[in-house]
Amino acid sequence: MATVRLNAIHKSFGAHTVIHGVSLDIASGEFVSLLGASGCGKTTLLRIVAGLESVSSGGVEIDGRNVTDLPPEQRDIAMMFQSYALLPHLSVAENVRFPLRMRRLGTREQQRDRVRTALDTVQLAHLADRRPDQLSGGQQQRVALARAIVSTPKVLLLDEPLSNLDARLREDMQVELIDIHKRLGLTTIFVTHDQEEALSLSNRIILLNGGHIEQQGTPADIYAQPGSAFASSFLGAANLVPATLAHAGGSTIATLADGQRLLVAGGQVPAGATTLALRQEDLSLAAPGGAGLQACVRTRVYLGSRNRYVLQLAGMEIKVLAGNEQVFTDGAMVSVSIDPARVRCLAR
Amino acid sequence: MVKSVPTAVRVLASVLVALTMLVLLAPLVVVIGVSFSESEFIAFPPKGFSLRWYEGVLTSNTYLASAWTSLQIALLVTLTATLAGGAAAVALHRGKLPFSGALATFFLSPLVLPTIIFAIGMLMFWSRLFGQVSLLTLWLSHSVVALPYVIRTTLAVLAESDPFLEEAARTMGAGRLQRLGFVVLPQCVPGLGAGAFFAFNISFDEAVLSLFLRKPDLTTLPVQIYGQLEFSPDPSVAAVSAIMIFLTVLMIVVIDRILGLQRFARS
Repeated sequence: MATVRLNAIHKSFGAHTVIHGVSLDIASGEFVSLLGASGCGKTTLLRIVAGLESVSSGGVEIDGRNVTDLPPEQRDIAMMFQSYALLPHLSVAENVRFPLRMRRLGTREQQRDRVRTALDTVQLAHLADRRPDQLSGGQQQRVALARAIVSTPKVLLLDEPLSNLDARLREDMQVELIDIHKRLGLTTIFVTHDQEEALSLSNRIILLNGGHIEQQGTPADIYAQPGSAFASSFLGAANLVPATLAHAGGSTIATLADGQRLLVAGGQVPAGATTLALRQEDLSLAAPGGAGLQACVRTRVYLGSRNRYVLQLAGMEIKVLAGNEQVFTDGAMVSVSIDPARVRCLAR
Repeated sequence: MVKSVPTAVRVLASVLVALTMLVLLAPLVVVIGVSFSESEFIAFPPKGFSLRWYEGVLTSNTYLASAWTSLQIALLVTLTATLAGGAAAVALHRGKLPFSGALATFFLSPLVLPTIIFAIGMLMFWSRLFGQVSLLTLWLSHSVVALPYVIRTTLAVLAESDPFLEEAARTMGAGRLQRLGFVVLPQCVPGLGAGAFFAFNISFDEAVLSLFLRKPDLTTLPVQIYGQLEFSPDPSVAAVSAIMIFLTVLMIVVIDRILGLQRFARS
């Protein structure tokens, strides 16, 4: 367990700069997610913490010690790769023992005990003698996890470790990761492009965009109050609707491009051009003519428990998640409404 | 479903396969047949049955001496080609050397360069610089010819391996030598094994270089067979060849057992 500090990290590959001055303080035992689309620099940042990538400028501290110039093998870290990177010629137990062996931690007996404990943690003790290619993808993934935690590193780095698993296994593994983090309390940096993973696993989300930190905060904060159009479209896949704000007698009214008006709770946002972030699941539909915005159903996608509607509103397409109580057919007019407190007004 | 193959094509394919088998196997049948002949002359079908030519070969000093020379050279070549080729393959695979692509082509060039040109060049070069050719000359030149095979087989297994293994090993505390010993080398083993097999066979079988770079006391088995065939042909040549065929097959079986079993354990 240790703190991690990134100090104004810049990273360029030739003329191409991928990290633009990222500074970050990670507390001991914190579970931090680096979230962003591909190419945002999240993996590069993780590799910089690991030491697999050098910095162009800036510094990395682990546990208060400057490790900027230390190679990965001399940093007390463990990293889990997207491909798992299990050594194919070694058994599961030998794979898990590898970091202990390389770092010469403990006697042979102590190493054996730690391997056993780590394999028990991921419930794979019964497969200790198998070779990696005799295991399923999910099992390989757990071996990689066991190998990452066996040496109780100061920092645990996870590079999209769940992206190669199918949906059900991924959910199971999320729960397992949360459990393991609770139990071991390792400082963890988790790279993902999946907002749901970031929201469900981390204490703090660092949203990266184009090599800088777009926004950071607890999952609840960052989900409820995305600070920018990018953040709202990335988290919760909100509809971004351009509008004009006007304050009138204590209430705020947003006027859409087609003149329809919507009551919002944007008291602190200055009047004028804005972008409204409307979450798919916050919008509700009713028969036309009510108080809401009038829109036309383009397509309905049946999702089992819910429907996703694509609506034509104010000259653009918006998406709405709605229940099965009332079904609207293609081409029908509907009335769209939203709790004013749920509307985010973003500065243009 | 694949559409069924027309009968004409199927017949044609079978004929081609049969012809290929015939061309490949017929010479072996002839050689093995002749080696058991009773007659003094090389003639097929053989007349009678005897093991006299085998006895002759296994008690002939010239054959045994040249076989010993060939074996020494082949073992040395296997060792050097495997070591140098394996190291070259690892370096080429990492692709961090300047002019990596050009180097790769250069290392593989003995595959396309006519051996006879290399042999003449080597003879002139060697006699100019060092005088008489020696076992060392053959050892070096065979190694050059065998090198591309080791590089190719090792590069092939490296290309299949997970590119993140070494990085993963670094994050687990493995330094340079540890990564070489515990990660890179084990990855290379099947390629090195196959390459060593090729290297041994190429050297043991090589005639052109050995012919140009020979001395009376430095005659390899293929050169000896060639000389025998030219000056006093008798079925002893066939007997030697049959023994070489047997040894090669034996080696393939052994190698396949070792490497094959390893593959099996992995899958």
